[in-house]
Amino acid sequence: MRRLRRFFRTPEAIAGALILGLLVAMALAAPLLFPGDPQAIAGPALLPPFQDWSLPLGTDRLGRDMLAELFHGARTSLAVGLAAAAAALLIGAVVGTLAGFAGGLIDEVLMRISDAFQTVPSFLLALAFVSIVGPSLGVVVAAITLGVWTGPARVARAEVLSIRERDYVAGARVIGMHPLEIAFREVLPNALPPVLALSSVIVAAAILTEAALSFLGLGDPNRVTWGGMIAEGRAVLRTAPYLSIVPGIALVLAVLGVYLAGEGVVESTAVRRSLP
Amino acid sequence: MTVLAVSKLSKRYRRGGKPLAAVDDVSFEIGPAETLALAGPSGSGKSTIARLVLRLLEPDAGRIEFEGADFLSLSGATLRARRARLQMVFQDPLAAFNPRATVARVLDDPLRIHGIASRAERPRRIAALLERVGLDAGLAARAIHEISGGQRQRVAIARAIATQPSLIVLDEAVSALDVSVRGQILELLLDLQRQERISYLFISHDLGVIRAVAHRVVILDAGRVAESGEARAVIDNPQSTIGKALVAATPKLNRNTPP
Repeated sequence: MRRLRRFFRTPEAIAGALILGLLVAMALAAPLLFPGDPQAIAGPALLPPFQDWSLPLGTDRLGRDMLAELFHGARTSLAVGLAAAAAALLIGAVVGTLAGFAGGLIDEVLMRISDAFQTVPSFLLALAFVSIVGPSLGVVVAAITLGVWTGPARVARAEVLSIRERDYVAGARVIGMHPLEIAFREVLPNALPPVLALSSVIVAAAILTEAALSFLGLGDPNRVTWGGMIAEGRAVLRTAPYLSIVPGIALVLAVLGVYLAGEGVVESTAVRRSLP
Repeated sequence: MTVLAVSKLSKRYRRGGKPLAAVDDVSFEIGPAETLALAGPSGSGKSTIARLVLRLLEPDAGRIEFEGADFLSLSGATLRARRARLQMVFQDPLAAFNPRATVARVLDDPLRIHGIASRAERPRRIAALLERVGLDAGLAARAIHEISGGQRQRVAIARAIATQPSLIVLDEAVSALDVSVRGQILELLLDLQRQERISYLFISHDLGVIRAVAHRVVILDAGRVAESGEARAVIDNPQSTIGKALVAATPKLNRNTPP
């Protein structure tokens, strides 16, 4: 409770929480408010927004309901962002813990692999991966994860390097605990906080990467995505700019919301050294 | 019969390319239910010896025989199983435990790892261990950071005796404690020694405490044994220069010395 109050003390945290809350509400409400296929034709093509109140945001080139697409797009963006961040944090924490705790050859091998991933631009990596394996939601998540797991891995390793010299790790060895149990039960939980602080950056990056992949036509074709909607509208950008602008604003707000909420969490957990 | 026999133990560190002998040709033995103290100024190699004996560090040379068997040749699962008989209590009772742990979890780990009690039996064993070190069994549910320093050190001792060891290494185990608490903890250690016949390797820079609890003492200087012998005899009449310096630096002892 106290932590929640501290979180809501900063304006950016409140703004971030509002935007994120709206996004989550959209994603959850999508199948209730817009049952059926959001990609089905709902009215005349290229209906501008605020003309017909049964289709408040108008329709796209094929006559699909923009509002329904926007709501269902929130589902995809959130799902991809959260899944990719969760996978990247999990892989990064495990790899970083193993490398930092084992040291020696294992550390060397794992860190050189992570170097290899870091030298390739993460978007190119995702692009190459999706174009080879084929676009589906799971593949897109995996492709994004490939590019971002190295960040958490490096932070986790640095943290583990300092924790493994602590007395309680020596104590765990003295009572005969297995090294893997020491690494994952004694060390990893204490190394997590700085790794988790990366999560908002990763979620935001994942949402943007997914939108970019969809824009290039490499998203899951069976799902509505904001990136895909922007790409759809590109052909008629001069005559019907709202087709690109509406999902564009949604994308900006989503990334902004995730960033602000993440900032708020870091602010509320940080120890204030100066007196207010 | 000896519990622990250390012979010609050496360990060198590298500091800026220069080798530095932290422990140099150190030998000693500890018998059953005996307390051997390691004394010496900071940097004399006391804690390095503790870590070598516990295989937290690997020596460059020398032998360690524990309960009549070569302790240095063990590795992997056999070493972990053997660790049940050789325990340690650390100086800082807060740093010695996982900051997220509860008292119950700290005591559950050794019982589980060494298969001493079944899952159903463990809560009862944990309560018995807490009572054995003079703590209330209700403390089990508390987090480590919620209890006092003296209570924490008692929990550390309870963890050390959970596996019924024959030797406990006490690395400055009472140095960080309040003077009033220190006496109680020393009393508890002596009581455990009498009842369970546990040997102690007692590391301290406090000659007053050593004189009170140790049978024999080894005084170290720059990683080498400066002098050793019966604790009272050595402390009352040190022969080595470092021994004399340590005794002179202990105000409590000067009062006892006849003019």
